[in-house]
Amino acid sequence: MTRFDDGRPEMTLEEFRLLRDHVYSHCGILVHEDMKFVMERRLWPRLEALGLMDFGAYHRYLRYDAQRHAELEAAVESLTTHETYFFREPSQLKAFCDELLPILEKRNGRTRRLRLWSAGCSSGEEAYTLAMLLKDSRRFDDWDVEVYGTDISRRVLTLARRAEYGPSALRATSADLLERFFVPVGNNRVRVRDEVRAWVSFGHHNLLDETGSQLVPRMDVVFCRNVMIYFDLAARRRVLRIVRDRLVPGGYLLLGHSENLLNLGADFELVHLRGDLVYRRPELPGLTGGEGR
Amino acid sequence: MNPLPEFPAEEERYRALQELDPGTTGALEVLVAGLHDESWRVRHVAAETLKRLPSSRDVAERLIRVLDERGETGARNAAAEALAGLGGAALGPLVRLLSHPDPDQRKFAADILGQLGQRTAEMPLVQALEDPDLNVRVSVSEALGRVGGEHSARALEALLADPEPLLRLSALEGLALLRRPPPLHVVLALLDDSRLQRSAFRVLGLVPQVVATERICQGLASGVRSVREAALGALGTQVTLAESVRRGEIEAVVLAALRRLPDAGERLAQALEAEDVTVRAGALVAAAALGEPSLALPVAEAAREDRLLREVLNTLSRLGPEGGRALLGHMADLSSPARAAAAEALVDLVDADSVTALCALLEWAEDDLRAVVVRALGRTRSPEAVPPLVDLLVDPALAGAATRALGVLAGSNRAAVLAALEAAVARRATSAAVAALARVGGAPALPALRQLARDAEPTWRAAAVEAVSEVDGGVGRELARAALADEAMQVRISGVRAMGRLGGPEAGALLRPALHDEDVSVRLAAVEAVGACGAVDRATDLEVLVRHPDGALAVAAVRALSRLGLAVPGVLRNAASHPDAEVVKAALSAGAETEEGVSLALSLLGHPRWDVRAAAARVLGDSGGPECLDAARLALEAEADALARQTLSDAVERLSRR
Ligand SMILES: C[S@@+](CC[C@H](N)C(=O)[O-])C[C@H]1O[C@@H](n2cnc3c(N)ncnc32)[C@H](O)[C@@H]1O
Repeated sequence: MTRFDDGRPEMTLEEFRLLRDHVYSHCGILVHEDMKFVMERRLWPRLEALGLMDFGAYHRYLRYDAQRHAELEAAVESLTTHETYFFREPSQLKAFCDELLPILEKRNGRTRRLRLWSAGCSSGEEAYTLAMLLKDSRRFDDWDVEVYGTDISRRVLTLARRAEYGPSALRATSADLLERFFVPVGNNRVRVRDEVRAWVSFGHHNLLDETGSQLVPRMDVVFCRNVMIYFDLAARRRVLRIVRDRLVPGGYLLLGHSENLLNLGADFELVHLRGDLVYRRPELPGLTGGEGR
Repeated sequence: MNPLPEFPAEEERYRALQELDPGTTGALEVLVAGLHDESWRVRHVAAETLKRLPSSRDVAERLIRVLDERGETGARNAAAEALAGLGGAALGPLVRLLSHPDPDQRKFAADILGQLGQRTAEMPLVQALEDPDLNVRVSVSEALGRVGGEHSARALEALLADPEPLLRLSALEGLALLRRPPPLHVVLALLDDSRLQRSAFRVLGLVPQVVATERICQGLASGVRSVREAALGALGTQVTLAESVRRGEIEAVVLAALRRLPDAGERLAQALEAEDVTVRAGALVAAAALGEPSLALPVAEAAREDRLLREVLNTLSRLGPEGGRALLGHMADLSSPARAAAAEALVDLVDADSVTALCALLEWAEDDLRAVVVRALGRTRSPEAVPPLVDLLVDPALAGAATRALGVLAGSNRAAVLAALEAAVARRATSAAVAALARVGGAPALPALRQLARDAEPTWRAAAVEAVSEVDGGVGRELARAALADEAMQVRISGVRAMGRLGGPEAGALLRPALHDEDVSVRLAAVEAVGACGAVDRATDLEVLVRHPDGALAVAAVRALSRLGLAVPGVLRNAASHPDAEVVKAALSAGAETEEGVSLALSLLGHPRWDVRAAAARVLGDSGGPECLDAARLALEAEADALARQTLSDAVERLSRR
């Protein structure tokens, strides 16, 4: 008999630290001390599913059980916040469309090939948003375009591929965009149109995993928004090094609104657009194009 | 001026500084020149590099001189930024700067000292409150709020009587930062000044008295939104500081105040979207007091901020079944964190009418949410919840939760639950139904289970053996014994677990082969089973496993020996020298009450891992004698980890009372 029928087990501070450190070393997500309550709530269903009595047993499970890798993923899954929606942070997206897209069109005009990466894409809204913006600009109609969405959580990737969304995901989507890029599927829900989906693909990737990142092709632009807010400095540095390596020289990195690269070293240069600040991987010496100041 | 004349382009100057080796002679001057660059990027990289130069005292002195360059605003700000990053080395020069003839310099000094936040600057700053220049005094009082200390608090409190409103304001802000409220009557007087109102509310929230709550509630009625929000922020703070007994008292006052406001609901809904987290926290407290079901959705949305989750759940649970229905009807409209919180609250808010809506949710919701929905279904007390729950037994992620939910539901709908489970087992829907059937069905289910234990599929044999052991000891032992010799690993594990649960005189002998099984999961289960059924005759096998390189086996062996009361000194010593820290901790907790355990704990106070040191400290606190006090004190002095420190200091405290 488990204890769930009456009360659920409490997490001691020590168990909290052990679990937190374990998660941190796997994926860089740092759960702050004042989040013990949140961690306890989010992991309860895991204990329940495994029939474990307390968090000490859960820690041992994560350390020793044959299923430990799968379980660690499940734990990270429940601890990460997947909150996202279409057309999030409109002013940044406007700057992207008005200022970066013309640059990219010119730069890649010869190859007619464009690669975008939504790193930490959650359930896919951001990746689809980017594809929609590209479609909307009409600049890349017959180009070879690919938007990659990756996330550490397999569960959100299933949702991303399904491409069906409800009102909460659409809270910043205008009626006009809704009309053009989605089809209703009943029950207040919509599905992203096939022509948009054709440009987007999804995959599983831990942003801290250097080896795994070799599978990601070279990107022209990386959106990594609202992902590193959960990371500490060391983990952020690591991710940025990986992201930089995946960008073509001169490629752009866009972070979430509340994030910046101060104190993170000089792998990127800051580019002042009229509408926003973005980061750029420096051009290779001698190849500086005249664009984008 | 172009300080790096050989690099005409900004980009090149930027790179030149970035690549500069801080160790080269002359680096300091190159960087100082960089502080004067026209591009802020260059200035910024210069400031960053200055923080890493070797002789920080010289750097500090040099930067102080830059602060003196009138007309070079960019350079001065960059120098200030660098100074703030130098830490202790900047302290002396900055304190001296507090007596510079130029008030501008003195203000800089105060600002940077505030950013450094080092307590040693406290007294010089307190003295600087005498500065003839108002701007300097304001900066100084702000800095005191960051530096902290007894003197700072007293000095700031004294400033509250200053005729200059700007100073009163910065003093209030400083006290809020220090979390040091002045006497209530002083705060109440300041609340009447509209310029100070917002800060005064912040401080008022720190006062844990009903009178303060009452005054905060007056703020809730204000026509000015910013004042209302300040009051809610204060309420949020007050509740976090109050013990749970006082919470009811606070809420009663809040409720009385809100009842007088015709548009209280709308105001709270608006405040739940405020920028400031403490305002949202206060709004949640107020919404809980008001208990207004129409607030359910905005309340749930507040869970987008993780830190508010506890308050959100508490508030939702107060909105009653009507609030529950509002949530259930709008789950698809909520953001995902709000949905998760709403689902959790729903477990307590559902009734028999909720089944359809809950099932609709199961259709599309995410897995963790579904687990909560399953719990909620179990609490609806409705027979309609039976079929969907039985169907969910197929899903490995939800089977456990569904089994328990069916158990709860059987309390009110036993026959329906039983029939559905029997049908599921008959059509071999899922092995999880077997466990559920045994739990709900009891002895009458035995014939069916026995039959199943002979099934051709190992999954069914395994499920049946474990299920029977929960229903009938005699039959259970018989089946478990056969299962121990099964060719399928899965069935052997079930046999082992059943044997562990049931015990009996032969259990030890029967479990012996399992302890040497070719499969490590069987071995692990066997170790646990030996401990569970008290098979002392297997102690030697366990003792060998204590030294096994597989940490999981070793931990399990130590724990099992401890359950058998056989964690003898030799076992503990072996475990304590295991390379896996979890085994070491298992040894500590196994020996917790013995003399050997205490001496083990003493020897582990210097272990490289904080959790081992903490575990050792706990043993000393529980079982050590006064002779351990010195060692514990020494360890406490050396301890750098906060949690280990806490445990050690508890231990020291308890030891000194012995
Ligand atoms: C808050 S969502 C942000 C979604 C989207 N980028 C946006 O801004 O709307 C953060 C996502 O980052 C993912 N994430 C967290 N740590 C990660 C890691 N180490 N590697 C990859 N993804 C990670 C989470 O699973 C989550 O889906």
